[in-house]
Amino acid sequence: MNPVIFTAPLAIAVIGAVLAALISITDKIVNNYGDLTIDINSGKRKLEIKGGSPLLSTLAESGIFVPSACGGKGSCGACKVKVLSDIGPHLPTEPPYLTKEEMAENVRLSCQIKVKQDLEIEIPDALFNIRRFTGVVERIKDLTHDIKEVYIKLENPAEINFTAGQYGQLEIPPYEKIKGSTQRAYSMSSPPSDKDHVEFLIRLVPGGIVTTYVHQYMKEGEKIAMVGPFGDFAEQDTQSPMICVAGGSGMAPFKSILYDMDEKGPFERDVWYFFGARTKKDLFYLEEMQALEAKQERFHFIPALSEPLDEDEWKGEIGLITDVLDKYLKEIVPDADPKEGYLCGSPGMIDACVNVMTANDIGEGDIFYDKFA
Amino acid sequence: MKMSPFYVKAQDNMQPGIITSSGFLGDDTRPIVDIIEHDEEIMQQLGLDFEEVANRLHELMEEGRKGLGEPITYQQFLLQVYEARGFLPSPFEDGIFRKVNVNIENKKNGKTLLVSELSIHLLQQHHFLQGRGSPYRLEPEDLKGTLEL
Repeated sequence: MNPVIFTAPLAIAVIGAVLAALISITDKIVNNYGDLTIDINSGKRKLEIKGGSPLLSTLAESGIFVPSACGGKGSCGACKVKVLSDIGPHLPTEPPYLTKEEMAENVRLSCQIKVKQDLEIEIPDALFNIRRFTGVVERIKDLTHDIKEVYIKLENPAEINFTAGQYGQLEIPPYEKIKGSTQRAYSMSSPPSDKDHVEFLIRLVPGGIVTTYVHQYMKEGEKIAMVGPFGDFAEQDTQSPMICVAGGSGMAPFKSILYDMDEKGPFERDVWYFFGARTKKDLFYLEEMQALEAKQERFHFIPALSEPLDEDEWKGEIGLITDVLDKYLKEIVPDADPKEGYLCGSPGMIDACVNVMTANDIGEGDIFYDKFA
Repeated sequence: MKMSPFYVKAQDNMQPGIITSSGFLGDDTRPIVDIIEHDEEIMQQLGLDFEEVANRLHELMEEGRKGLGEPITYQQFLLQVYEARGFLPSPFEDGIFRKVNVNIENKKNGKTLLVSELSIHLLQQHHFLQGRGSPYRLEPEDLKGTLEL
């Protein structure tokens, strides 16, 4: 028998093993940045970390969670951090998400830069309060054909403190072809008083990784994680009438804000809430909002359908929510006081509503929103 | 067609986890030049012009955006646009694109298409309809059936 038949595969295997070992050793030498320090906000926190990983995940491993709507893929531009140390020029992936001022101040996308040296950085102090929570999906409820209400019992930590209007990043496990866990941002719809739960309203986005999981794979009783709370979308501490506009799952922060206001007693300001949908089957929480309207004299709920069906027998407002909003601001909402705008929806919806509001004398600085879907 | 360094780099960028979690190739193991060449043949057989298809998809996306996130009827189509924060780079490294998807339902025949701003660019500029099994794969037959071109 020809000995080459046996020795050739063996030789190839040995060479392959040697090469793999060389690559592994080289990687450890080249990418070993050793023990490093990250100084946050001029000494408020000092982290001792191992170098070599992206700043975003390095901070997260130390319990500092910078918001990221895409989970660190460099495609949302949310994870901005001001870096005071000299770490070289911006990477080609960063400028599309940064303003000229941010570039000049060395604001960086923390998912894109690796920690290779001691760093000094600045982040909002509020990020120190953000935690990763684990819990159990207690209830999943269909609100419409494409929106689910997901109610989660928190276990560790068992309670959350947040301001009505804030959002959390729901983290789902790997499934099917999705290899890693994935996070996406959703506003919390439960009131802050329900400290041991969080509730999200999640609309199915075709092809969406997290929404597909929630709609097709998530089961009651399963373990789930979220990071939060994030965001500064909240009721402002003024007496100005609130003009609120949402559609679809944009209902979430308003449900939280309105229930929170209701728990504190009679509304001390007028609240006008415009909610848009296409047909009656796309509407939800109608009874809840109408009950709140009956209880709170200063609350006005205006649902509007853009394309009602005959069988809907719809008696309410008809038209795009921007048209209905414009009509009310011109003809119905009292003109006396300066008003505040509150928006939740897609970037396009927000841009359109801002245009209507500013055209009706609501100052751009008095319009509040988190611009994410 | 030859897998030049340009296409080799693009195919690397299309792997899962590089630009999007699921990538652009689905279960398709062919070199992208073969995917492009094959789809060009089918488009030609079906009488579809890449430029004409791209223009129609752009038009439907812009009309769908007028629904402000809710479904909206335009001609024979029910359009719903989904927008998320941020951008996606093209795997061919020739631009970045808003994360905007439009679901196109032809109300006459019930056929649907899911199209992103990036997938229109890939179709228009590179004749790349994505690999089989990719969530954003644009099957030529689906384009013809849904758009009625």
